[in-house]
Amino acid sequence: MKTYKYIRISQLLAASIIFAFFLGCERDITDLEEASYPTNPEVFINGFSPGLNYAAFGGSVPTAFDVDNQVTYSDQSTASMRFEVPDAGDPRGSFAGGVFYTDGGRDLSGYNALTFWAKATQSTTIGEVGFGNDLGENRFVVSIQGLNVTTGWKKYIIPIPDPSRLKAERGLFWYAAGNIDGKGFTFWIDEVKYEKLGTIAHPQFAIQNGENQEETSFIGASTAVGGLTSKFNMPSGIYQPINIAPAYFEFTSSDTSIATVDETGKVNVTGGPGSAEITAKVGDTDANGSLTIQSLGEFDLPPVPIHDPENVISIFSDHYENVPVDYYNGYWEPWQTTQSADFVVNGDHILHYFDFNFVGIEFSSPTVDATEMTHMHIDIFLPNQLNANAQFQIELVNFAEPDNITGVNTTHISVDQSQQWISLDIPLDEFTGLTNKSNLAQIIFVDGGDNIPSFFANNIYFYKDDNGEPPPPEDEPETPAPTPTHPADKVLAIFSDAYQAVPANFFADWGQSTIVSIVQIDGVNTLKYENLNYQGIELESSQDISDMEYLHVDFWTANSSELNVFLISPGPVEQSYSLTVPTTGWSSIDIPLSMFEPVDMNDVFQLMFTGNGDIFIDNIYFHKN
Amino acid sequence: MKTIKSITELKFTYLFLPVLFLFSGCDRDDFQKLEERNWQLVWSDEFEGTAGSLPDSGKWAFDLGTGEDGWGNQELQRYTNNPENVSLDGNGNLVITAMRDGNSFTSARIKTQGHFSQQYGRFEARMKTPYGPGLWPAFWLLGDNIDTVGWPQCGEIDIMELRGQQPHIIHGSVHGPGYSGGNPVSSSYTLVNGRFDADYHVFAIEWNADKIDFFVDEFLYQRITPEDVPGEWVFNQPFFIILNVAVGGNYVGFPIDQTPFPQRMIIDYVRVYQEID
Repeated sequence: MKTYKYIRISQLLAASIIFAFFLGCERDITDLEEASYPTNPEVFINGFSPGLNYAAFGGSVPTAFDVDNQVTYSDQSTASMRFEVPDAGDPRGSFAGGVFYTDGGRDLSGYNALTFWAKATQSTTIGEVGFGNDLGENRFVVSIQGLNVTTGWKKYIIPIPDPSRLKAERGLFWYAAGNIDGKGFTFWIDEVKYEKLGTIAHPQFAIQNGENQEETSFIGASTAVGGLTSKFNMPSGIYQPINIAPAYFEFTSSDTSIATVDETGKVNVTGGPGSAEITAKVGDTDANGSLTIQSLGEFDLPPVPIHDPENVISIFSDHYENVPVDYYNGYWEPWQTTQSADFVVNGDHILHYFDFNFVGIEFSSPTVDATEMTHMHIDIFLPNQLNANAQFQIELVNFAEPDNITGVNTTHISVDQSQQWISLDIPLDEFTGLTNKSNLAQIIFVDGGDNIPSFFANNIYFYKDDNGEPPPPEDEPETPAPTPTHPADKVLAIFSDAYQAVPANFFADWGQSTIVSIVQIDGVNTLKYENLNYQGIELESSQDISDMEYLHVDFWTANSSELNVFLISPGPVEQSYSLTVPTTGWSSIDIPLSMFEPVDMNDVFQLMFTGNGDIFIDNIYFHKN
Repeated sequence: MKTIKSITELKFTYLFLPVLFLFSGCDRDDFQKLEERNWQLVWSDEFEGTAGSLPDSGKWAFDLGTGEDGWGNQELQRYTNNPENVSLDGNGNLVITAMRDGNSFTSARIKTQGHFSQQYGRFEARMKTPYGPGLWPAFWLLGDNIDTVGWPQCGEIDIMELRGQQPHIIHGSVHGPGYSGGNPVSSSYTLVNGRFDADYHVFAIEWNADKIDFFVDEFLYQRITPEDVPGEWVFNQPFFIILNVAVGGNYVGFPIDQTPFPQRMIIDYVRVYQEID
């Protein structure tokens, strides 16, 4: 419901006269707190109330709504709202729906319900009816889903969860209705107004569907309060469920040093170890249910996968492109108890399964042909202390006729392996019974020993490894950097076996975490920065390079995502230049010195590299043509 | 809640100023002119006590079990004397709780039979009712001679009955020979914009040899005299008090899946007065 077709109905009535008729038995609201917005309760009585506009939802039949002067709910009513729900396939639109709103807001805080009369050409169901849709944020949207109407006029009530929130509400009424079994119908709504009713009572609100739930989490992780529900006891003594926007809930954390919660219910874990209970209220009413965050404190992500993307079919990883996945939790009835509470730490998505007995991931459209693959990789983390050694069972299911083929593998996990990442690389031929892997469609995790309450999973993928073992990480260039070809008389070298270099300290200690070493690759001295954050090079004496034109650098990295080189003159005046990483083999670059303005080229005394990962660098020199 | 003097003199003076006329149209009645009475408190239970304790055994007895034919009405509940069904809440109230367990229901019914009964006077209770289809709370009186003459010859005065599917309507009735069961002399009182389960209301009768007046929140909504009953007037003898929450039965119908449980009747007090000259 994001786009709206705009229809303005200029039908203004002498509302003051009508209001006078109703004033007699209405509660006198003039004694209420003075409000800056009109408190007019009327939406549509015998026509549009002052300031009311109509806009149809995008995709709906724009003309579905009209004012009907024939069919009204009582003899006193001279007009009603008529809505024509289109048949399936109607070229004008697939449903009837729209918003009745005012340009300025209304103060509805003195009322507790929207009421109206409705009937239809047949006993049927109107998809959704409510208020609070203001064509904007819809912050306080409320609706009843599936409003059952009959062929006789009946009064309907939609309670306001917390009237104090509606001090300037523009969305006075909205609806959306689709065909039933392909057939459209017509319904009427009349006498739409806000009221203060004593006949609705005992509101009940809930978060986490009214249950007291716990979630294990970490600093940097985020989750959301879910299961927001609301119901009111209606004049019949029966509860009516109401859909209400999260903004009606006021969330509280019992310990904001452990977890904070914002007004949308998003929870951020800020500290730990420790726990924080998230609860909520709507108005003065406590919501049932709670979410207790058990923070384990700092969280380490699993190791970054090292396999060449060319050889990987990824099901779940932020480091590879994943194949289409139908679901990561099938909630298979009736025996599965496993729930999901996936979370994100520092941008890395983690699957989180709890109440674990078994759970399936399905990727059936299309299925995965893993014929070329040799291994399955998965990182798992068992956040609960194990009370005994556990059996983590993985089943791979190959869809086939007449019966699917299932391969089973069990990993034994010792008690002391809980609360840390365990990287599994399981040869596919160790999945017993997996006679065909050309049509893989499911991965099923089973708590084989019935003692793993929950686990996290990440980096689930199949990969090809011809040796049957994971390949050694490509963490070092096999050959040295190419030998430079610039004439020595046009070069001022800093680091290179090919030239006489000026004296410099390559191990400058500026408080960095980078581990510096000079390694030999095929006998060629090469500068190696491990775990780079930054690293300086201090020239023994400052150099005048104003007659030089370029800075040359050769660099090699398999795992860096950021690398910058700086020139620095006293001040310090420094300027960086970004290098493209990671590299495919050695990269060589000649950077025009003009890129380093405003560094004083008469007086360069330091260089610096910043970024991340493991870097090999060689042949750092200035040159001119 | 308050401390109770064993005998308190209460005076009800029904003096409605003529200004009431101005609130025309919307109010239930224009004017109630009732004779002045002096009422003296002779018996009460304010339900003070520790949360979870049973009501005062010196004042109340229990009806237990399922009765004969669901207490004569095909009621579904089994009455217990478990604190989860009937106990003080520690805030000066008695709570009778009807609970569902699958298709069976428990609740409670207490009575002053054997402890207290009175002929004539004012009987009142301040309470909130339960709600939901199939709930049938009641505050009522039975003739003390029920064990000798049987029902309906003993007479029955229903000060408050409510059907949970209509939480805004209460009913006041009398049953006697020839006008019992589904055919009592009865009238109802409707809250125009309110519910008896949402706030406390005071239900009372004022009873003497000539009439029984029925009140909600001091509003007289029904007067029954010997001429109004199509049979013998059996209300010239002592009656005892009953409080109960029934589930299902002829009067109210079955509870439905959507009937919320547990359901509570919360009674602030029961007081009985005699008229003094």
